[in-house]
Amino acid sequence: MLRHTLQRLVLVLPVMLGVLLIGFLLMQVVPTDPAQVRAGPTATQDVVEAIRQELGLNQPLWKQFAIYIGRLAQGDLGVSIINNVPVTQELGNTIGPTLELMLASLIWAIPLGMFLGTVGAYYRGSLIDRAIMAFSVAGVSLPVFFLGLGLIWLFGFYYPILPFTGRTGPLWTWEGIQGIILPAVTLGGVFVGPVARMTRTSVLDELGADHVRTARAKGLGESTVVLRHTLRNALVPVVTLIGLQIGFLLGGAVVTETVFSWPGIGRLAVGAILSSDLPMAQGTIIMLSLGFILINLAVDVLYAVLDPRVRGT
Amino acid sequence: MFKLSTLLLAGAAATTFAAVPAVAQQKAPLSILRVIDADNYDPIRTTATAAAEVMYMLADTLVTVDFDMKTIKPGLADSWTISPDGLTYTFKIRKDVKFCDGRPMTIDDVVYSLKRWTDPTNKSPVSFRGGPVKDIRADGDSTLIYELKEPYSDLMFQLALSFASVVDKATVEKLGPNFGVQGFNGTGPYCWSKWTPRQELVLKKNPHYSWGPPIYKDPKPQIDEIVWKVIPESNTLMAAIQAKQADVTYYMPYIALDTMQRIPGMTVQRQENYIYDIFMGFKVDKPVSKDPVIREAVNMATDKQAIAKAIFFGKGQVLPSLLNPAVLDYDKDSAGKMPKHDPAGAIKLLDQAGWKPGADGIREKDGQRATFVVYGIRNDVNPRISEAMQADLRKVGIELKIQLWDATVAWGKLATQEFDAFYMAYPYVTATEALNLYFASRQAPTPNRMNWKDPKTDELLKAAATAVDADKRKQAIGAVQTQLTEANVWVPLASQPLWVVAGDRLEGVRAHGIYGAGLYKGGGLYTSDAADD
Amino acid sequence: MSSPMKLERNALQPGAKTVEAAVSVAAATPVRRKTVLRMLLSDVGSCIALALVVLAILGAVFAPWLAPTDPFGNDLANTLKPPGEMGLLGTDGQGRDMITRLLYGLRTTLLMGSASVAFGCAIGGVIGFAAAFYPKISGVLMRFMDVLLSFPAILFGLAIAAIFGPGLLAVIIALSIATVPLMARVVRGSALVVLQQGYIEAARSLGLSDLRIILRYVLPNCLSAIFVFVTLRFGQVILLGAALSFLGLGAQPPTAELGAMAADGRNFLFFAPHVSVLPSLVIFAVVLAFNVLGDSLRDALDPKLRK
Repeated sequence: MLRHTLQRLVLVLPVMLGVLLIGFLLMQVVPTDPAQVRAGPTATQDVVEAIRQELGLNQPLWKQFAIYIGRLAQGDLGVSIINNVPVTQELGNTIGPTLELMLASLIWAIPLGMFLGTVGAYYRGSLIDRAIMAFSVAGVSLPVFFLGLGLIWLFGFYYPILPFTGRTGPLWTWEGIQGIILPAVTLGGVFVGPVARMTRTSVLDELGADHVRTARAKGLGESTVVLRHTLRNALVPVVTLIGLQIGFLLGGAVVTETVFSWPGIGRLAVGAILSSDLPMAQGTIIMLSLGFILINLAVDVLYAVLDPRVRGT
Repeated sequence: MFKLSTLLLAGAAATTFAAVPAVAQQKAPLSILRVIDADNYDPIRTTATAAAEVMYMLADTLVTVDFDMKTIKPGLADSWTISPDGLTYTFKIRKDVKFCDGRPMTIDDVVYSLKRWTDPTNKSPVSFRGGPVKDIRADGDSTLIYELKEPYSDLMFQLALSFASVVDKATVEKLGPNFGVQGFNGTGPYCWSKWTPRQELVLKKNPHYSWGPPIYKDPKPQIDEIVWKVIPESNTLMAAIQAKQADVTYYMPYIALDTMQRIPGMTVQRQENYIYDIFMGFKVDKPVSKDPVIREAVNMATDKQAIAKAIFFGKGQVLPSLLNPAVLDYDKDSAGKMPKHDPAGAIKLLDQAGWKPGADGIREKDGQRATFVVYGIRNDVNPRISEAMQADLRKVGIELKIQLWDATVAWGKLATQEFDAFYMAYPYVTATEALNLYFASRQAPTPNRMNWKDPKTDELLKAAATAVDADKRKQAIGAVQTQLTEANVWVPLASQPLWVVAGDRLEGVRAHGIYGAGLYKGGGLYTSDAADD
Repeated sequence: MSSPMKLERNALQPGAKTVEAAVSVAAATPVRRKTVLRMLLSDVGSCIALALVVLAILGAVFAPWLAPTDPFGNDLANTLKPPGEMGLLGTDGQGRDMITRLLYGLRTTLLMGSASVAFGCAIGGVIGFAAAFYPKISGVLMRFMDVLLSFPAILFGLAIAAIFGPGLLAVIIALSIATVPLMARVVRGSALVVLQQGYIEAARSLGLSDLRIILRYVLPNCLSAIFVFVTLRFGQVILLGAALSFLGLGAQPPTAELGAMAADGRNFLFFAPHVSVLPSLVIFAVVLAFNVLGDSLRDALDPKLRK
């Protein structure tokens, strides 16, 4: 178990380094001069030059990268060139709301998706199955912003019963829960379909498997068979899927956060990139990518826990 | 078009009652919605109206402006005198003023703040607004002397703008470049509490405050906490006001104003004296836009009337001339010289000047395509105005390439020489102020983005700015208006109206609008739920 | 967007070779094309999807002939007219006919989708084959693909728009890059299976060059897997493009693009919903059609599901 985890960790390290390098290089190609942005439009050339020195922008690229990694190791991602706020502080402020939003989306989307998938598999080929599959393929074909705007129109405008102007409070308060409903329904809405389809496929696989047949032969009730013998093993690919879809979920979060003015990392990233706030943009990109890798690492480990067959390889 | 919205309204009204207990709580902070944030809140380091609208609440100025946008009223200064030669201004400063941290304001704070603003070494983008300063000094502990090298007719109004706010020297020096970012200390009715950039700025009531301008009946702030919230999505903003999740905004999309007016309890108010004009300016030294014929043809081809009507949904006014007719020293004669909408005339003009249609319908002359790049801020009107102009110009064979930028980068982009024309919207009060701001050669490259460098203009502008006699000023600035209108340096488009929309919880709303600040100092505002207990 | 889990699900899990191989075996099994087509046509859903896709392509290709009005001319006196009141589907914020704009929008959107998928798949395909064929560089290549996969496509779009400026080009580049690693995985997976077949060994012993083996034997046997991927990816790319347009990074005016149209029209959502809803619905229909078609193709090509 531990060995498996360590193995994965070793494999992930070069990927992380690659992410850092690409995140770093991507921002080097941006035609905006960060020193100029920092100095403001009216600054003289001397001032810009001084700022360039101060930011270390005159150093060779590899050295800048080495310095960047060194600082990163100490948890220093630089300061925003727009308002001098440390990037780590902004990331710290925004990561909470984003995690909140993602959790609130997954917490209903995954169970619902798994339920629909299991039902679909169990009644394979029936009208219910077809309806569920049609629903799930429709779900993945819907633009996220359209779903968000539609929900605002319906529940914020036509029946104004839910807030949609950003985070209304901590999740453990009634206000907070109210405020997260619409964004979470939007972001989770695009997740139900994939989970349902994945669950359906793997439950179908499992229903045909030997141990399930045995269980049936033993005369166990259908619900017991499905729940105990099928779903547990069917969970494996679903967990994998969730790990993979995190990247997609992050993309959806950027749009959802924009629609709902949610104070998360996605909105921070969009704002930073659009305003050429290089350190902040780098920070958010690296944060999102690393988050993605780490979640997948966690999923990989979880995968081994759920399916002992994987451990050996 | 509005049939549907009326229907929606019925639904909204029916269910609003259910929403109220959940949202409007006792003494909930007053929430003001807006669409963009400023990059900092240091009065001298930003020209953004997004900074000014909050600055008026955070800090005070020597003098204030009445709702008519013309009359100067007392502020931190009780009274003032101006020497007959127009060179020396003497202000009597109030003695009962305290900063948010409780420290009494002294004359030194006032001198420090005004010097900080006007001193060229501070490289403030707004220092020129202070005029040709010779010296700013204290005389005793409550008299301020503002001495000029030459007369400056706009000074009193400039002193009422947020750039001339009085700030606490100790806080400025302690926070350095983070002043107005991580903290603030002013003498305004509300105090800086917490800023989350691009999201919200929280203000708390200044408990000492009693020195508000006499334009308000009660100078004391009535609201414990104010939250300036940034809602970039205009639908969200609109629905939030309608669903009473927020209290007030003056960034309501124009399309929604009629609907808002029909909602019971909603205050929808227009500030009649507000001037915020949108124009397109040409760089007069770029390959295509340097040709006066092109500029004139653009002015003729653009259907300004239709734009003002369609883009602002009947709530905007077309600009008949370079400047707004409501402005001080507006020149009617030069307005008559502004080309009328006449696409056929534009085609004829271009044909005569040798701009011949090319294969794709876009004109050419001496191997030069009649195409130019326009920059602007990506807000709720520019995309639609530019697209309408693009179609209008295409009809006469001119190609407009549009490049709009996010508000935070736009100012940097608008300081470059990469573009041929630009969209700009700006608040002003006098003709002298507006034209000195944009057309003096010393103002290039920004805000004189036209690169308009003309000795005659400079001379007339200076004459207007330093005139002690009102008629002479009017004459000089009138001549500038004629000159610029004939040169077609600008395509004046529309006057953007200010509409304040407030929910029924908020009382005492009166639209102000100085430098775009719809609520000014927030005087007179109170929330009905707070008053109940 | 997320439907081809079957192809992607093990993308990042080096340990989960089993499922990946299963998909590849399925996809790599040669299938007679006629059978596939017959299977597609026997299903009502697939028929409708196919018809929609064909209709969309025809509409896009013949937009200049089908459109009733000039796509760029404005009519500011008749803005935001609801469907029926002016033209069959009303007018947009500039008073332009919605049918015209939708047709031209579809044209741009499909062009954007095809270009992104074509570039992404071409590069990804080369990388995938190289990784399958040359085990020595496989590790490095696939780790590099992992790195690319670690960036959500939206972030790519943002960063690339920052470099090149917002516009169609930025979107196409971003979506191409985001497609590369996915394609590389699919191709490598199915090529690995094909390479284990006896006839490859035979071809090698004949002394055929690597390129020839790939083109002659490996590629044709991977085509079904690629075909399924491309169909499903097309839908995702259109959705991602729409999302990028929503953030202001997509096609710039006066170009009509469905995502940008939907995004621009959202300012009138409560008053003239058709301006935003119609392009959104077209996106939805096109993406849905591609997804249904992709699913059916996969089912038809998967021998396990066929029984």
